[in-house]
Amino acid sequence: MSASAVALDRRQISRFALFVHRSRAVPYLLLLPCAAWIVIFFIVPLVLMIWRSLTHEGFSTVVYTELMTSPQYIKVMMTSLKIVSLTTIVTLLIGYPIAYALTISGTWSRIAILTLVTIPYWVDVIVRSFSWLIVLGDNGIINKTLMQVGLTGRPLPLLYSLVSVLLAMIQILLPTMIITLFGAMLRIDRNLLLAAKIHGATGFQAFRSVFLPLSLPGIYGACLLVFVIGLGFYVTPALLGSPAETMISQTIMIEANENLDYERASAAGVILLLITIAIVTIYNRYFGLERLWGGAER
Amino acid sequence: MKASSIVLGLMVFGGIVYLLFPVIVVVTISFSSATYLNFPPPGYSLQWYLKMLNDPEWLSAFWVTVKVGVLASLLATLVGVPAAFALVRNAIPGQSLLNAIILSALVTPPIVSAIGVFIMYVPLGLVNSLLGLAGAHAVAGIPFVVINTAASLRSADRDLERAAIIHGASPLAAAVRITVPIIAPGIVVGFILSFVHSAHELLIASFVLGGVGKPISVKMWSQVQSTTDPSVTAASSVLIGIAILTVISVGASRSLAKRRTR
Repeated sequence: MSASAVALDRRQISRFALFVHRSRAVPYLLLLPCAAWIVIFFIVPLVLMIWRSLTHEGFSTVVYTELMTSPQYIKVMMTSLKIVSLTTIVTLLIGYPIAYALTISGTWSRIAILTLVTIPYWVDVIVRSFSWLIVLGDNGIINKTLMQVGLTGRPLPLLYSLVSVLLAMIQILLPTMIITLFGAMLRIDRNLLLAAKIHGATGFQAFRSVFLPLSLPGIYGACLLVFVIGLGFYVTPALLGSPAETMISQTIMIEANENLDYERASAAGVILLLITIAIVTIYNRYFGLERLWGGAER
Repeated sequence: MKASSIVLGLMVFGGIVYLLFPVIVVVTISFSSATYLNFPPPGYSLQWYLKMLNDPEWLSAFWVTVKVGVLASLLATLVGVPAAFALVRNAIPGQSLLNAIILSALVTPPIVSAIGVFIMYVPLGLVNSLLGLAGAHAVAGIPFVVINTAASLRSADRDLERAAIIHGASPLAAAVRITVPIIAPGIVVGFILSFVHSAHELLIASFVLGGVGKPISVKMWSQVQSTTDPSVTAASSVLIGIAILTVISVGASRSLAKRRTR
């Protein structure tokens, strides 16, 4: 190829670039690979799963009818909702004071607390669940201590119970609760508390009548996140629960992996997804999702 | 007032003990000289680390996790960084789209994605494929990359890029050679978070690579279900060590990002 041909080629490329630039297509072209990836590896699988759940011997909703009327599925769903509700409430009760302490602490203690709170966040859920297996066992440190102190004669059956599942789930979801609450609390104008105190409120009164109501959107948002993430838990109840603590993800896993019944697994998956979407939609309707992301660029 | 801050301090202390106690237990037991899980251990040794290092299954699992994680995070970075440019610099309905992506990635139950991906992969022959798992993990990595790149990009000085264009650089070259190095720490944070997510992910991994060539999460899960052998605590402790190194490097690149974009 001669030098002039290369030059011509270059000019054509730059003309093309200019054309693309002027047509205001650039932002969409930049978004295209990302959108394509999400569609292919996230949306298409979900659509295929919905399709699979509806095509049991021809097109029918028979699998859904089966699941909705199966006492086993209703029980598992109720158990899941019960465990997640308890987890969310306790996580909020433990997380709120810590998030509040973060908002009033100085720079260094804030960095220290935040680091300590986020360390478990980086540890695999399998490891964090497994550690409770060691701690709560018959020879575990809790039972040993209780026996040494003389509070109990023989080891308490702490493991494979609601208690062990809750202890681990709360521990795993606590960093999410604290960080989300903290993000929301940072947006509260602290001058309002000062104003309340100037007008004669005690510290506690100012907290209860000003700070607490203003932090409610943060509470709702953090609880939504913890609830919805907790609903999908698999490892923790499978490792630390008895059959009475079976959660929905475990049942779906058994349908797929052991029964090889992908129609039922898909249908149960769709139901779980619909419940999740319903919770998020109700939240969005009453509180607005944008509040949750107010600090997206933290 | 004094009493209330003492109570608050105790609550924070209690909460942090609760959060860290299990982590401390796992790390301590990994150095145990006993052949069973016992806390506190009767003595200390490195036997479980040696056992793990001599077990080809653990080593291959670590290697698989690294390959899948790096590949997934690279893919997420390649598609996520241009998307972050588009979302930050243009008045397209970007913010709501970004929120939708973050939210759907966060709230979709992992088992649902896993079943869906498996149903799609079986006819495509992508089951048992490293590439297949990386492709699915990349989806979850994209939000991390987009959020962190977008945050860096918002605080980066665009005039430097404009100056390069005025001096004759093409818009693409100016973006790649001027702005990308400036926002690199943000991209690195996104990459690391995406890698950590991939390394921890269990359900998609056990459907796609559950047979031969298991990644570390699948290997650990089968191990903790079947045995009470402390070697799993050694593997966990290595992961915790990697996690702490990651926290430090994220912190370092964040402060570097602040210094650069100030």
